[in-house]
Amino acid sequence: MRRTRLRSWRLGVAGLLVGLLVTTAVGAPGPRLVRLTFYYPVGVAGPLARVIDEMVAEFNRQTPDVEVVAVYSGDYDPTMQKVQTAVMAGNPPDIAIVEISEMPTLLAMNAIIPLDSYARAEGREWLRDFFPAFLQNSYSDGRFYAVPFQRSTPVLYWNKDAFKEVGLDPETPPATWEDLEDYAKRLVKRDAAGGVQRWGVTISGGWNDWLFEAFVRQNGGVLLDYGRRQLRLDSPEAVEALRFWVRLTNELKVAPPHSTWASTPPDFVAGRTAMLYHSTGILTFLKNSARFPFGVAFLPRGKQYAVEVGGGNFYVFEKIPKAHQDAAWRFIRWMVTPERAARWSMASGYIAVRRSAYEVPAMKEFVTKNPEYLVAREQLRYAYGKIMAPNFQRLREILKRALDDATGGRVRPEVALRRAQEEAEQALGAWLKR
Amino acid sequence: MAHSRASWRGQRGAQAFLYLLPSLLFLAIFTYWPMLRAIAMSLLEWNLSRPEPVFAGLRNYATLLADPVFHLVLRNTAMLAAVAIPISIALGLVLAILLNEPLGFLRGVYRAAVFYPTMIPMAAAAMLWVWLFNPSIGLVNYYLGKLGLPRVEWLYDMTWALPAVMISWIWKNVGYLTILYLAGLQAVPTELLEAASVEGAGFWQRVRYVTLPLLGPTTVFVVVVSLINSFQVFDAVHIMTQGGPADRSNVLVYFLYQQAFRFWDIGVASALTALFVAGLLVFVVFVVGQMERGVFYEV
Amino acid sequence: MKCSIRALPRECAPAGRTEGSLRKIRRWVARIALHLALGSASLIMLVPYLWALTASVKSRAEIFTPTPQWWPRAWQWSNYVDVFRYAPFEIYFLNTLIVVLGILAVQLITITLAGFAFARLQFRYREALFYLFLIQMMLPIHAVIVPNYLTIKSLGLLNTQLAMMLPFWASGYGTFLMRQAFRQIPAELEEAALLDGCTGLRLLWSIMIPQVRPVLLAFSLISVVTHWNDFLWPLIVTDTPRVRTLTIGLAMFVQQESGADWTLLMAATVMVTAPLLVAFLFLQRRFVESFMYAGLR
Repeated sequence: MRRTRLRSWRLGVAGLLVGLLVTTAVGAPGPRLVRLTFYYPVGVAGPLARVIDEMVAEFNRQTPDVEVVAVYSGDYDPTMQKVQTAVMAGNPPDIAIVEISEMPTLLAMNAIIPLDSYARAEGREWLRDFFPAFLQNSYSDGRFYAVPFQRSTPVLYWNKDAFKEVGLDPETPPATWEDLEDYAKRLVKRDAAGGVQRWGVTISGGWNDWLFEAFVRQNGGVLLDYGRRQLRLDSPEAVEALRFWVRLTNELKVAPPHSTWASTPPDFVAGRTAMLYHSTGILTFLKNSARFPFGVAFLPRGKQYAVEVGGGNFYVFEKIPKAHQDAAWRFIRWMVTPERAARWSMASGYIAVRRSAYEVPAMKEFVTKNPEYLVAREQLRYAYGKIMAPNFQRLREILKRALDDATGGRVRPEVALRRAQEEAEQALGAWLKR
Repeated sequence: MAHSRASWRGQRGAQAFLYLLPSLLFLAIFTYWPMLRAIAMSLLEWNLSRPEPVFAGLRNYATLLADPVFHLVLRNTAMLAAVAIPISIALGLVLAILLNEPLGFLRGVYRAAVFYPTMIPMAAAAMLWVWLFNPSIGLVNYYLGKLGLPRVEWLYDMTWALPAVMISWIWKNVGYLTILYLAGLQAVPTELLEAASVEGAGFWQRVRYVTLPLLGPTTVFVVVVSLINSFQVFDAVHIMTQGGPADRSNVLVYFLYQQAFRFWDIGVASALTALFVAGLLVFVVFVVGQMERGVFYEV
Repeated sequence: MKCSIRALPRECAPAGRTEGSLRKIRRWVARIALHLALGSASLIMLVPYLWALTASVKSRAEIFTPTPQWWPRAWQWSNYVDVFRYAPFEIYFLNTLIVVLGILAVQLITITLAGFAFARLQFRYREALFYLFLIQMMLPIHAVIVPNYLTIKSLGLLNTQLAMMLPFWASGYGTFLMRQAFRQIPAELEEAALLDGCTGLRLLWSIMIPQVRPVLLAFSLISVVTHWNDFLWPLIVTDTPRVRTLTIGLAMFVQQESGADWTLLMAATVMVTAPLLVAFLFLQRRFVESFMYAGLR
């Protein structure tokens, strides 16, 4: 009895030692290498984490004195959490792709470094090559902090077979809000019990705050002006936009009141919704999964065409050695060269962030065969920067709750938005100017 | 003889201290010191806009109490406890009573089927149920449809998101409660049951008048364990609904997690911690008091 | 003879009464009803996992059928291989193993020492100190994650396996169990050992511990299962795949592939749960008894 006990103790200790050895081995750095930690999110469906890993591996091969360790850290929100945690704990990552609206928060935490000198060293043409709409979320107080990488706009996907089924022209997507309502009414399919077999349109939840911005812009309003630090969640234009949503979800019941960002692309593929508002970033996923022809279109206009940009930017962090910052820039610069930008775009459906990326031969061929990938790029001429503010996570929750409450039929739109405005004013505190 | 005994007892203080030291050390650092610290930090304003903490008195508590989401969260947590606990206990009890019958070799099979969810993480269980609750291709809606009942959007529905979480929680915990009740049942003296059946009592009557009262202490234990468990619900919410839609499935620990690790408001999170701990302590002291008073049997 | 509450009065009644055929039928009906009830309950409990199992071997396109197919048309075992390509589950498994064993190893030491002290030693404040342990038993770690997180941060231990172990090294629950167990050792045994000059740690090691081995085993099983399934604490103290455990790995995997590939998700879920379930299949009795023992007071 005693002997077996001792033996099992020894086994336990041995196992622990082996385990510790293995893990330290896995984590051992190479000699004379600058090792960079790189947190990145994948905000859309599809095996994009693998693509990133492949690109990073290629960079590491080409750059023997720098090794980038890519750490997939979830969706945009969890990634921001991880970044926050790491920064607060005093060991920030070297590089991270963070959702574009988080820049003011990162600035408030003194977490990121300005990249003006690096950008200037690339020459004036370098910055100008980026689509201007994408740079709208890169500047604060005139300084440049964020390099665009995985950028998108929302687009409208429509199921051409479903359109044919109800007698709509499969090549003509809805162009206005009225069209949208009209088509959705015709496309919705209900079963005998009154439940919905197919929704007419789905305005995807999860990032419905992002989609809402676009609707408000389409209606001629603005939710937040970053430069002027003014917030108007309950403007008449915003209320009207929300009323339109509530009409679709509650009165006409042609759109689901709630959903998640990850659940709606499969819903579209499964034929559960005939039209879908979602990011251009899921385009590759849809192409690979959908068994029916579908189209990609601008978001229907209200008073005007308008759309917000979205996605993630590269940031380089403070409190890392200068050698790391320099190496980080080399990595970022590499990742946004026209060839890589093109590759990333083709693999995902995100818009290639630079104009010159579309001149890359592989890309030219690609978009000729797949013109849908150009829709989002074309929509950029109607694109605005995304709202951003310090404490953005809280602001986003407040807005989302208001939207969810309204589309859920619990609260009237104007009340929901007014409450949201009050809560947001409290959350943003002194930063806001009245 | 007496000599060695006396020297043994003489060292008792030091020896006991030494034996207790490791445990006390970790208890101090990870249980009791945090409680005090939470109270202290709850009086600070410490968040993203104020990275250097500043004394703020009771302002965090005021913020919390004024937050409509906090009240919603309290309500959801209470509802989960009030609904899911009785259901899981009732199911556990019935299953235990049935499993206590002579069943031959099938007993092991049934018991394994009922108990195995205890072996898997709540996170994994939640994954299974996300898949089951999928509105278009999930099993639950399919069978609801077959039974002629309306299909529900489950995790995306403000009314049904919390019940969905409850269902997965009940499924995960029933087996454990069944086992606890089985243990309690084995302590029911068979002579009493024999006597009852001699008196002419039927099956359910015997359950009602003999078994249930004797299961009293077990039931109290089961309720306490379930209550404490229900206050800790996090994994299922994190995986299934992230508190949504519109915080309709947000519960206490998830709300705490959001305040601390998403919004990075350490001050408010500490106030919440302090309230949580205070509530738990009141509950625990009450329960421990009951224990000492011998409500529980010593086996 | 064991008299269950279901047994007919005949079996418990004094001899002499005869059995009618009606009673015989009632007995059979009752039996069938019993098995039907338990069988249905078992089925309901099993369905979620079985459904996941079938999904895990289907191809991606196959799961989008409006009527659920229980039998996959083509068995795609490659899903399990693919899961490893997407995330280093072998590392997650190793980490989980290390953390769980690390927690258990130290717990066994602390609870044995403390349990023995409370059971067999006399010292001042014994009752009061024991209350401290009792309270910890019922105070979930979830309540104090924020201060604990800050503590780990100040110790510089964020993102380590140690961080996932530390808060659990003192166990009020284990101490309680051990106190019970030690209390039940007859005093004569201890006195006999003392006569032989066996004191202190040697007494503990050679004489007392072997007596309570079953309890230690029961506790070990419970501890392993509990901490294998830890979620919130590892979630907030670890960041990178190098130290990630299985449950967190699964959650991250969910975020990565959610909505995109249910077959992979289900394969990952099955894989994460497999180790403990396999152990459970082989040691069912042990596991059940351990958890049952813990419920007895």
